[in-house]
Amino acid sequence: MPQLLGVFGQPHDIAAAARRLRDRGFTDIETFAPAPFEEVEDAVLPKPSPVRVFTLIGGLTGVVTGYALTLWMANDWQIMLGGKPFSSIPPYTIIAFELTILFGGLMTLLGLLTIGRLPSFKTHKAYSARFSAEDFGLVVTCRDRDVAEIDGLMREHHASEVSVVEA
Amino acid sequence: MTPPPPPAEPVAALIRPVPVARDSQVNRDLLRVMEGTSIGYWALLHLAVFFMLAAGGVWVYQVYKGLGIAGYAHPIFWGAYIVTFVFWVGIAHAGTLISAILYLFRAKWRNAINRSAEAMTVFAVLTAAQFLGIHVGRMWKSYFILPYPNQRALWVNFKSPLLWDTFAITTYATTSMVFLYVGLIPDLAIARDRSTGWRRAIYSVLSLGWQGTSRQWKSHSRTVLHLSGLATPLVLSVHSVVSWDFAMSIVPGWHATIFAPYFVAGAIFSGFAMVLTMMIPVRRIYGLEAYITDYHFENMSRFLLLTSIIVGYAYGAEYFMAWYSGVEAEQTSFWKRAFGPYWISTWVMIICNAFVPQLLWFKKIRTHVPTLFVISVLINIGMWFERYVIIITGLSREYDPAVWGIYTPSWPELIIVAGSFGFFCQFFLIFLKLFPVVAIAEVKELEIHAKAHGGRH
Repeated sequence: MPQLLGVFGQPHDIAAAARRLRDRGFTDIETFAPAPFEEVEDAVLPKPSPVRVFTLIGGLTGVVTGYALTLWMANDWQIMLGGKPFSSIPPYTIIAFELTILFGGLMTLLGLLTIGRLPSFKTHKAYSARFSAEDFGLVVTCRDRDVAEIDGLMREHHASEVSVVEA
Repeated sequence: MTPPPPPAEPVAALIRPVPVARDSQVNRDLLRVMEGTSIGYWALLHLAVFFMLAAGGVWVYQVYKGLGIAGYAHPIFWGAYIVTFVFWVGIAHAGTLISAILYLFRAKWRNAINRSAEAMTVFAVLTAAQFLGIHVGRMWKSYFILPYPNQRALWVNFKSPLLWDTFAITTYATTSMVFLYVGLIPDLAIARDRSTGWRRAIYSVLSLGWQGTSRQWKSHSRTVLHLSGLATPLVLSVHSVVSWDFAMSIVPGWHATIFAPYFVAGAIFSGFAMVLTMMIPVRRIYGLEAYITDYHFENMSRFLLLTSIIVGYAYGAEYFMAWYSGVEAEQTSFWKRAFGPYWISTWVMIICNAFVPQLLWFKKIRTHVPTLFVISVLINIGMWFERYVIIITGLSREYDPAVWGIYTPSWPELIIVAGSFGFFCQFFLIFLKLFPVVAIAEVKELEIHAKAHGGRH
């Protein structure tokens, strides 16, 4: 099946084109953007990114680990210090807090790698250096008979060029 | 006679223009910083490495001779190393503040300076971490502070602020590195697309095959948001924990509840000053005036003014509490601070941190870059002395006059302290040439928005 690449100059143009293509029933849509633009990303993937789940799991693991580590170690070999209880929650909260951040941060990074599918070892055939300059690219896989229609649709949304991606 | 060989290429190919990929002005301007190195650059790098190596040599000497070569004298066994440790941890606060807190507040002006500030954060934490090892003397035993299983089945004491510090600094170092790296990924892809040879190989690996697809950007934005949310309380906690190293004790001059906010404000103050000290020359040398504008510097100087007022208030509050508490030891400690053997350090601290930044009330001074540079350097000096004053005067005048003492930093300590600046600067100088010093994708985001809405950002 042919792939069509449209090149756009403005985020709202490519977002509008992507939304219309999705409404028309095309599911294999990909965009390239030089910078983050919510409207472009939402046009292709309307659901919120699941990276949040990773952060939550990491943070919860961190807080549990922090308290478990300190409480267990303080009671595994009990040493009386300044008449304080072995299980002193206030100072251990600091350790639990730091581990919440540490595990949360590392899991968020893992979330980026997993959800963003990084590292990616294959460069998309339509990708080129212009998309890390200022251009936006919209790639859609379609049937032969849809090529003319998509070409028209992209140009209607101010695509500066539309071309067939060479296999 | 053999005919002459045909030309290797038809003439048409020679006159056909080589296709040049369209590139944006932002890419060209900001990637240019990484190209080529001047004599001045090499001179600075050599100077930084020289200082670092000198400090390394002295450190080897210290390992050989023992901590006796430091100027420690009873009762003062926390000296220039701990002072410099706190100083560098403080410097490390600007990066995360700019990247995380200003991100959450949607302060657009952070985009021009956040990358360099984040890099400085990482380098400053690395520098600070050296001092923990240098200070304990037997650096190879530093791992004793970690909770690891050992033959004695003995665990670390989690009620000690030094343990909190270990966890806070480790977390801060890790999180700030993650933050810096995540922000760098799209920019590394930009650099990858425009480089050749070994640079292309490095950027290809580090950019993880980034192509700016919607899936990648979506998870990237979400990651930056969540890291900011995590880093915001973290940045406030780190210097609070460092301050508790002092405030949890009963030493007069240290035992104060104001310490956490006082230290955090001071850290932000010194961090912003250091970013200005480094970025004013960088902007000038690499002609980045279009990206790092006077407006950015002015906003940073407003931060300096605000935190200077907080720090100045804390100085006042300390004296007020010493007087109002009626505790004689506190009163003596603070009296000796201003008029005792360390009066010079104290007044350097007060003048540089509380009085000099008041000049920033005037717009003329906020927008006059050379003056701003001088003020930022004075603040750096003042903030080093602040930690010196807190640590040394506190310890030198405790409860019992019979055990009062005087500490003077020895030459090995001073060389190691100077070397830490070399250590920090060499990282920064190498970073300048290997990584984009301004967040290109973020600047582009603002530019494209501005173009779409027909105005300038």
